[in-house]
Formats: sequence, C-alpha cells, structure tokens
Amino acid sequence: MADSGNAPKPSSSVKLVLLGEAAVGKSSLVLRFVNNDFQENKEPTIGAAFLTQKCNLPTRTIKFEIWDTAGQERFASLAPMYYRNAQAALVVYDLTKPTSLIKAKHWVAELQRQASPGIVIALVGNKLDLTNDGAGSGGEGEGAGADGEGDARKVTTEEAKTYAEEEGLLFFETSAKTGYNVTEVFTAIANAIPETSLKTARGTGASHAAARSEEQRVNLNGARDPNAKEGCAC
Amino acid sequence: MLNLSSFVQKAQQFLDPTQSLNITDSDRNPSKASLFQSQFRLPSSQHPLYEITAELTIPPPNATQGERDRDRGYQYAGKLHLSESYLCFSTTPSSFLQSASTQTSSIFTGQTHGGGPSGNGFTFPLSAVRRVERLHSQNFQFALAITTWNGISQDAAKEKDKKDLREQRITLQLAGTRPACERFCDGLKKGLRSNVGNVGKLKKVVSECYSEYLLRTEDQKNASPPDAGLGMLFKYPGDPKKLRDRAKMRLWAEYLRDNGRNLTLIRQPTFHKLIRVGLPNRLRGEMWELSSGSIYLRLENPTLYADTLAKYSGRESLAIDEIEKDLNRSLPEYPGFQSEEGIGRLRRVLTAYSWVNADVGYCQAMNIVVAALLIYMSEAQAFFLLSALCDRLVPGYYSTTMYGTLLDQKVFESLVEKTMPILWDHLVKSDVQLSVVSLPWFLSLYINSMPLVFAFRVLDVFFVEGPKVLFQVGLAILRINGEELLDATDDGAFISVLKSYFARLDESAHPKSENPKLRAVTRFQELMVVAFKEFSGITHSSITESRLKNKDAVLNNIESFAKRTAIRNLGPDSKLLSPDELGALYDRFYGVLYERQQRDHILRQEQARRGKNSRSRIPEAHSSDDHSIERGRVGLGPSESLMDYDAFREFLAGMSKWAISDAPSTPRRDTSGDKQGGFYNSFRRSDAAMSPWGAGPEPATHEFLERLFKNWDAGSTSTLTLQNVVSGMARIKGKRDIMGTINYFFELHDDDGDGKVDREGILRMSEALLFLSRRGLEGSLSPSNSTLTLNGDSLNGGSDAPGQSVNERFLGSVSAFIRRCFEYADPDHPQNQNAIQDVQERLDAQKLQDSADEELANPDAFAIGDDDDDDDDDDDDLLAMDSPAASPKSSAIRSDLLTSEPPALQLNPSSTTFQTDDDALARRRVSKAQSVKANAALDPSNPLHITLPTFRMVVLADELLEQFFESSFPASFHIIEGLSSSTTPTSASTLTTFSSLGMGAGRAVNAALGGAPGVAAGGRGLRGVLDNIVTDGMRVAAEVRRRMEEAQRELEKNALPGQRNDDDDEEDEEEAGFERSSGAGKGPAYRGDAERRSVRSSDRDLLTGADAEASDAMGRSTSDIGGSGGSGGSGGNGGSNTAAAGAGKVVGVEFDG
Repeated sequence: MADSGNAPKPSSSVKLVLLGEAAVGKSSLVLRFVNNDFQENKEPTIGAAFLTQKCNLPTRTIKFEIWDTAGQERFASLAPMYYRNAQAALVVYDLTKPTSLIKAKHWVAELQRQASPGIVIALVGNKLDLTNDGAGSGGEGEGAGADGEGDARKVTTEEAKTYAEEEGLLFFETSAKTGYNVTEVFTAIANAIPETSLKTARGTGASHAAARSEEQRVNLNGARDPNAKEGCAC
Repeated sequence: MLNLSSFVQKAQQFLDPTQSLNITDSDRNPSKASLFQSQFRLPSSQHPLYEITAELTIPPPNATQGERDRDRGYQYAGKLHLSESYLCFSTTPSSFLQSASTQTSSIFTGQTHGGGPSGNGFTFPLSAVRRVERLHSQNFQFALAITTWNGISQDAAKEKDKKDLREQRITLQLAGTRPACERFCDGLKKGLRSNVGNVGKLKKVVSECYSEYLLRTEDQKNASPPDAGLGMLFKYPGDPKKLRDRAKMRLWAEYLRDNGRNLTLIRQPTFHKLIRVGLPNRLRGEMWELSSGSIYLRLENPTLYADTLAKYSGRESLAIDEIEKDLNRSLPEYPGFQSEEGIGRLRRVLTAYSWVNADVGYCQAMNIVVAALLIYMSEAQAFFLLSALCDRLVPGYYSTTMYGTLLDQKVFESLVEKTMPILWDHLVKSDVQLSVVSLPWFLSLYINSMPLVFAFRVLDVFFVEGPKVLFQVGLAILRINGEELLDATDDGAFISVLKSYFARLDESAHPKSENPKLRAVTRFQELMVVAFKEFSGITHSSITESRLKNKDAVLNNIESFAKRTAIRNLGPDSKLLSPDELGALYDRFYGVLYERQQRDHILRQEQARRGKNSRSRIPEAHSSDDHSIERGRVGLGPSESLMDYDAFREFLAGMSKWAISDAPSTPRRDTSGDKQGGFYNSFRRSDAAMSPWGAGPEPATHEFLERLFKNWDAGSTSTLTLQNVVSGMARIKGKRDIMGTINYFFELHDDDGDGKVDREGILRMSEALLFLSRRGLEGSLSPSNSTLTLNGDSLNGGSDAPGQSVNERFLGSVSAFIRRCFEYADPDHPQNQNAIQDVQERLDAQKLQDSADEELANPDAFAIGDDDDDDDDDDDDLLAMDSPAASPKSSAIRSDLLTSEPPALQLNPSSTTFQTDDDALARRRVSKAQSVKANAALDPSNPLHITLPTFRMVVLADELLEQFFESSFPASFHIIEGLSSSTTPTSASTLTTFSSLGMGAGRAVNAALGGAPGVAAGGRGLRGVLDNIVTDGMRVAAEVRRRMEEAQRELEKNALPGQRNDDDDEEDEEEAGFERSSGAGKGPAYRGDAERRSVRSSDRDLLTGADAEASDAMGRSTSDIGGSGGSGGSGGNGGSNTAAAGAGKVVGVEFDG
C-alpha cells in the first residue's frame, strides 16, 4: 500500500529526533505524519516514543525512525540519549508562544554542538491553525509571510525565518491539526539528507551536509511532491 | 560494654560531622536509624531504641475452639525492635544496636526469598497495642502477651460480636538477661504511654482500609465499604474470573481473620505467597499501602492530604500547569480516566503532592503511576504511596534532573553486561542504546509497557521487595527474548521485538508442549519465575553497591549537561568572555553556593544535635534528615541558584586577592585543584574546621564590594543569578579596553547616575583603589621598567623587593589622584569660591586641633570618633588605613597591633577613619604646598564633584593608574586559575603576630560551634597553620620595615616639629615589636628559614596544646574505626589501644615533615 513504484528503489533508514518545549505539538506532528491523524489525548511521551514511517522520494525510499521526545524541561537531560547518532532533527516551537522559540534556539545550539556533525535540522513553527494566515486549507497558506499578523500569532515568520537562515536550518510553519505543511517538512528533510550519510553507517560521515541542506532548501521551497503522503510503515 | 561502645559511636559522630555530610560516605555507611527505617518501612521519625532477641508465638487459627493442646500454633525466632511509636518483630536477624556492624544491620538487603526486607513478623504501631501482660511462666522465662486493637473500627461491637471478633493475642518470649528484658519492658511501657493519644489517628486510618469492611459480619455489611479505588466505580482492569479474584479474596479473608488486618497484620509465609500470586482487586490498594509502608506515613498525619488541598486551594504553579496538560493522557484506555471523576482524583493527588514536595513538583510519568494507583486506592492512600515512592522506593526518579532514573539505567546496563554478556556485546556492536528501551520501564514502573493486569502483578511484588524487582523483571525480559534480540540490529527492531513480547504476555509460554501443565504456564508466569529464580542474586545490596559505583559518573554527566546548557543560554554579553572563563565562572558560582549550603546544613545539624542531646537520649538524631544531606548538588535536583552578598564575597575571595579579608582565619586548603567538573569533591575532601567560610579564606568586606554587588544586581533583587555575575564580569574583563574600565569604575561610584561624583565619592574611589591594590598590583605594569614586570608574583612572598616599589608608587599615585581630583573638581556652587580663602585657615587649624585631641584621648586605641559609617570589618580598614603610609599615625597603630593588645583589636576604624586619614594626608600636603584650592576641597560646606571626563583625565595623567585600569584591575580577577594556595596571601598577613596566633590556631581547631566539629580536622590543619605563620611572619616583617622607612622619609620631608616627637616614640615601639617578630628580616633567601625557626620556638606552647587536642581527636576517631570494624563486641578495649597508637603516629606524621 505504501509503494506505488514498480522498481525497488534503494531504501535507507534515517534517525530523526523531535525536540522542543512541552506542548508545542511534537507528538501531534509525528502522529499526523505517521498516521495522518490528530488526537487530543494521546498517551504521554515517557522518555521518548519511537515510531517509523517511510517516505518515498523519486530516487529512493527513506525510512524514518522517529524519536519523539518528552517536552518537559526535566527530561532535557535525557535528550542526548535520543539525539545521539540522529541524522535529522525537527526542532519545534509554538507560533503563539515566543518562549518556545527561545527554547527551540537552545535546542538548535545544543544539537549543533553535541549531535553528530552534519545533522540536518529543521525549525518548525507549529499551530499555524491558530493564526489568521494559513488557517487550515493547505493551498492558500502557501507563501503566507509576515504580511498578516494572525490572532494568536506571537512569532513572526520573518523573525524565525531570518534565524533559520543564519543557522542554516530548514524552516517551515505547520499545523498538525489541519495537516498543513506537515509532510513537506519530512520530505524536505529526506531530500536534505546527503546521500553519503545514507550509504555509510548511521551518524557518520557527511561533514558537508549543512552546506548541502542549504542548497536543497532552495529547491524544496517551490517544488512540493504531490505524492508525498505515504502509507503507514509500522 | 554496651555503654562504652555507644559512647564511641557518639564520639565519632561528634568529632566528625563531615562524615554524615559526605555523600558517598553516608550512602556507603547509612546510619543505623535509616537502615531500621528501610527494613520496616517506617517513617523517618522512628529510631531503633531497644532491641532484644525473642520468640514469637502466634496461637493456632482455631484456638478459640479449644484445640490448643494439639497445636502450639506458629513460632518464629527473631528480633524484637522498639522505636518511638512502633514495636516490630522480624525473623530477619538484623541488629541496629550502636555496636552492631553495618553488615548485621543491613542483612535485610540481601536475599529475602520472597519475604521482603522485613521478613516474617509484624510492625505494630504502639497505639494499636491494647494490652501487654507479663506472663508468669514456669521456666523463669520472661514472656509478654500482647493484645492488639485488631478490628478497632468495629466500635459498635457488642457482646455477641466480640465472640466473632477473635481477640488477637500473641506471645513473645524475650531471650536475654533479666536486666535487658526489664530495660526493654520499661521502654515499651514508656512508649505505650506516650502513644495512647494516637488511638484516634489509628481509628481513622484503619476505617479507610477495605479489610475492615471485608471482615465484618454479614449483618454489618450494609454500611458502605471504604474507598478501594476507581475500580469500584469503573471496574478493575482484567477479567475477574480469569484473575480468580473471588478465590483470592477468600484466601485473604481467611488469612486476615487469623493473622490480623491492616495495621495489626502479622506476616507469615502465606502472606508473601498470597502476594506473589497476585492481589485481589479490592485489597490491592491496602496491601500496597501496607507493604510499602506508606500506611505508616498516613498514620503519622492522617489529614495531611486533605489539609494540603485545603491550604493551597486556588493557588497556581508551574507544576499545576504541567499536570493539567497530562491529565487527559494518563491511562486514557481505562474508563475511569475518561471521566471527570477519575481525572479529578488524579488532578488532586498530583497537585497535593506537588505542593508538599515542591522540589520534585510534577514529573511526567508520575501521572501514569498515580493513575494506576488510583484504580485500587483512595486519593489519600495514593498520595502517601506516591511520597513513599519518591522518597524511598525510587528516589531521584522524578527529581528535576531525574538523576535516579539515569543512575538506575546505568545500573541496569551494568547488570545486563554482567549477566548476559553475549547480548550486551551485541548491543554494543549494533550500537543500540539499551536505556531508550528500558528507561520507560523503570520510570513508569512497567505500567506503560505491559498490559495493566501484568504491570499490577509486578507492582504487587515491587512494593514488598523494593526496587530490585524492577531490575529483576527487566533482566528477565531480556533473557527470555534474548534470541530474538540478538537478531535485532537497531533501536527500531529492538523495540518492536519487545513490543510484541509484551502484547503476548497472556499467551502460553510453551504452546507446543505435550504437557498440559506446562502448556498452561503463561508467558507472564514464566517471566516472574525467571525474574525471581534466575535473578535471585539481584539483591537490594547489590543494587545499592552498583548505584554507589555509578553515582558520581551519572551526576557529573548531568552536571556537565546542565553547565553546558546554562552557559549556552547566557545572554549575548557572555560572548565577551572566553568559554573557559564562562565555564570557570559557572563552577565557581555553583561551587560557592553548594559549599555554603553544605556548611549551613552541618551547622544547623550540629545545633539540632546539641539541642537533642541535651534533651533526650535518642541516638543519631540527625539521621532523620538524611535526604536533605544530598541536596544542593546541581545534579541532584533543584539547587540554590541565587547568590546573596555573603556568597558573593566568598565567590570573589576565590579568585581575587583583594577580596580576601586580612583577618586571621582558618588556613586555606587547596580547593582549586581538580577543576574538571569535580568542584564538588573539594568540599567532601576537605575536612576543614567549620568556620563560617569553610576551608576557604575569609572574604573581605568593603564598600567597594557592596558597590560591585549592587551594580551586578541588575534586577535589584539583592541576589545575583549566574547571568548577573557573567554580565558583571563581562563588563570588567570582557572588553579589555582602558576607557571601558575607567567608565565602569566611575559608574560604580556614581550613585545617582547623574554623571557626577562628589567629594565623598572621590574619597571612596581612592579608598577603593587602595583596597584593590593593598595586596599588590597584577597584570603588566610599567613596561618601561623591566624589573617591575615581576610584580605579578610579588605576593608570593619571595620577590617582594621590585613589586613593592610599584605598590609604593601606586600609593603615591592614589594620593596624587585625590589631589588632582580636588584640583580639577567643579564646584557645585560657583559662589563658594569666594569663601574659600576665609574658611580655609580656620578649618585647617581646627582640624589639627581635633586630631591632636584624639590622639591624646586614645593613645593606644586610636579610634577616631567620627565614624558614622558602620562598616565593621576592622582588619580591612586597618590595612586600608595604613595604606596611605605617609601618616605616622598608622605606624602607631601598627605597633599596637604587633603587640596585639586586645585594645588594638577593638579598634573601630571604618572607612571614615580612613577618610580622616586621607584628610590628614591631604592636609599635610596642603600645608606644604599652601594650596588654597585643595583645602577648599576638604570643606564640607563647599560641595564639589568631578565628572567622567575629569576622572578620565586624572587617571590618564598617571602612568600607574592608567596601567591599573588598563590591565591590573581586570587581571586581578583570576576566573580560571583561581587563587592557588601558594599565591593566596593567607589570612592574617600583616596582622598576625605570634602572640595572637594562639588565638588563631585555637579558632581553627575549635571551629564554629562549641569546638567539637573541628577537632578531628585540627591535626591535619595544623600543618597549614604553621605554613601560614611562616609566610605571615615574613610579610609582617617586610611590611613593617617598609612602613617604617616610609614614615621616616615622610617625617624628614615635611612633618611638623611637634609631631616629630610622638613619631619617634612610636617608632621605637614599633621597632621593638618588629625586632621581636622577626629577627633577621632582610635577605629574602635567608628570611624564610629564619622565620620558620622563630615560629617554631615562639609557638611551642600553642603547638603542644593543639597537638594534644588534635591527636586526641585523631586517636579517638581511629578507635572508632577499630571499634566498628570489629563487629560489635570488642568495642571498648581494643579501641582505646588503637587510640594510643593512632595518637603516636599522628604526632610523628604531622610534625616531622
């Protein structure tokens, strides 16, 4: 059900870790991506939840091994255990909560210094559904920038985007509730993972990944894969 | 003998308070009281008071029907223990006597064979004892019959019920000498009397136990049963038929009828068997409460839960926000937690706990655990059980750093490595991190990992046997799945193997077996068998040992993570400092706070102990706060993160010479060693006497420090955060440009921020400059004069000569600074200019008169009266006062100090004194130069001020001042390297004289509180004192010589004839003092030896005094070691022998080298 291609494409697995302040919607993003579902009361994340999902790219299949970490502050000291060897990270903040962006920046700094070199980091502002722009339907929200201040929006697209560019991060604003931009995040990450790091053992090599992800990001902003949504692999 | 050995034990505690402080040590050698509490799961208020060997006889079940002759009932040999409010009997023969070896008192941590630490026996609250009778037995045996309030809640019991309600009456035969038995009985009598008042509490607690309802006669059952959890409303998880709940209930009813219920229950082997097969739903909560001991917490304060909720009703907190987020996500599959009822209970329990234990607050996973508890027990029961969990069963699991969780993961990994080496190798090879799998098992006690019914079975055993069960089950899971796990090569595969295993726990373990019995064994049963049979070697003591081994590494990890995070999250101005500097600042900041906290704790503990010792004879009274000993370390959870002024002083004293007081204080030991994350060790290692400043030097206090503190305290909260400290330091050391430092210094003294510094301010500035330079200048000074570049070392005591001339010149620079400031100052009121001339002469004359009078009035004390500033650090200002050096008066003071008469020490000079001195200084200059302007500057009626540009100009006009701001001021903060003991100008410096040394050393030995705590340290500390004496003596000599020469020069230059005579006298006096203190104070190379010799001879008395005291202490502590080593019996004699030997050795070691 997952694969529509006939020739077996090369498949490789990528370890991805989600980090961010509590209640920014990390688990919801994963749930949306993995099950295309949104749930109010999901069992809480103790330490970290582990899920997998495949992502089909034109040339290859990426199997994401997703570590969804607990957001509570005191679990932060466990995080190294989970981002160890990760090739990709999703650092999530809440568009309606400026402190969550600060926390996200801390995580980015932590990852840049402590995680495997060449880790692909995506900065994701979640809960776009609570703002005026991009409120729901996937189509119209595209490219909605700093022009309209939404109801609950407290972090401008500009601010986060500038920061992401400075640090060489992928950047998205999403809504796990509506599903807007969620798959795109994962697809972009899949594309940004350098081929070299896929062939070798996890977490090694790929020192030039950051530079690569930069150029990838340019490509990705325009071209969205219509077949991005995949079946559940687990 | 018993008395003697307990005396030894007491003496040991008394002498060595650091022993209880030392984290590792207190873990390794837990107090007898805490062992006693762990064995019987008693609250920390209980201490082992008496114990005696005894035989317990329980009447046979059918005794009432008169078959007593055929069956004597059950008998158990064991130990009977008495605490303040409990009478405990256990077949585990542990002993908590003071003389008992650690091994004997911790037997219960070994293999328990299913009985749990407290074994078979009972734990009766004394309030549950109804009657004690002394039996007149034939064999001169000492026997007691104890009747309990078993079934006390049936207060309506009528005559006919009493027949049903069989009285619980047990017999205890005490085995011991008659006096020992009598003593025990006396203690029991006392205890019973004082616990009569608690019967009310007992009734309340018992009435909430389901067993009371269960054992009622049918006609009383119409009363509503006590709350046995949400299960009563929403059904208990699992199929009751499959669980054979009714059968279990019947078995329990029978057991409870025969052996007592809830608080009066007697544990017999059947009890533990019944628990192993799984508890019946309605009794589960009560049994958890009983076996974990949380019921005793509830008994202690039955209304705590309700009271807490009432007290904090309506209040908000961070924890509450966090709780709220998780309420809907706690066991959502259980119907009870889809309802407001269940969620409400969960909310209340978690909230109440977050209030009583604010340090833990709320941690995710607690919601799951509490939700599980609430299915089987009432809110109050769950509340107390949660605190038993957090405090005793899984300590540190839910703390803010979760160090307990991480530690147990390390322990688990090491167990896997030891028991399943092949699997472990596989994990390492395929780079699978075990804890990503096992962490949730431990953190949520398997509740989230296994189907609920099985998780509860694990919990049943866990509450009886303790945390080792978590490890045993974990290991069994891996062992059973070993084959499949060996095929898994990444985290994902690993997880999915285990996931599918958990999902099939109810299936047959051997589905293909021919044997129907074997086929009937479920996977869960297999798991339990493997866990408790195959891993029976995993005991509480082996876990504890492994925890100890890994503890430091785990804590260091957490701390380095915390440090990394904290430093990274500092504001942008932190970028001005190097990463090394930030790291060192962080270490120093938390190091100081930690040490202060520890010292505080010891002092408080000591006070408490002294208070208690005088009141009662409870041994080891301090052990009740064993938990708090562990607080303070960053890795252990919430720690102090705010620095008050005193801590700030101590903080600065650790890295800046000028921030160390000149007062004699305890010698500084090298605490700056091992900086790599090991700054906590310094305190543990140091056995310094408990001065308020611990092992470090006493920090100075000075107006400048207060200014600095205020300036750094950006939020005006009277405390500094790490951020404040870093920002403050960044301004001084960050930019490295002279203008910045000059501006900063000016700003420090510009109180109202109007860009002007008035007369007072100018004087304060110069005072600050002198304060900062009084131990010499650092940094690169005077590149023009190459000999002077040495002066960074000038305080090492070795190469004073070149440095001194710079320091001398600096004094000149400061006085020039004052002069220039006044010269270029702008008057606040221009019209005053005219009055200057008139005022000047009158003022001048009057001032001279004043000072002369004062000299007459206080010929030796020299307290200048007008100190409106109550800065009370004598010593500082003494030094500051004589720093201007030009004044002959300061020489007078010095001579007084050198003879160290008490009056001299009572001097009350303050910054004002110093100012007056300055005035005098300036005045002399005035009289010499006849400068009208400068005199006007001194006139308080002529306000004036300088502005920043003026200040800058004045500073830049002087090469030395320029260099001071350019490099020596910023360089005086030794953030990274700190002050090593060799460069620390130790204590007393100029003030220590050999006659006053007796005092100083005495203080070092006798420590802060009543002398006791420091005695042990004295022996080792003495060496340090000696060294100090030597260096101090040298410094005194050099300093005095310098001052004298200066004074001489000054006198020759410009002193008035009248003063001259006085000075001569004083000079003589000083000369005398100087001669006495250091005979040959000239050649630097030679000086040291001479000093050493003179110190030794002059201090013989002191040394023998302290020597005696210290070696006595050493001897005694040595004897303790001997005493506790030889298990119990051989306390007294062998100990004192060792003491003598120990003393001899100590003397040899200490004073030969």
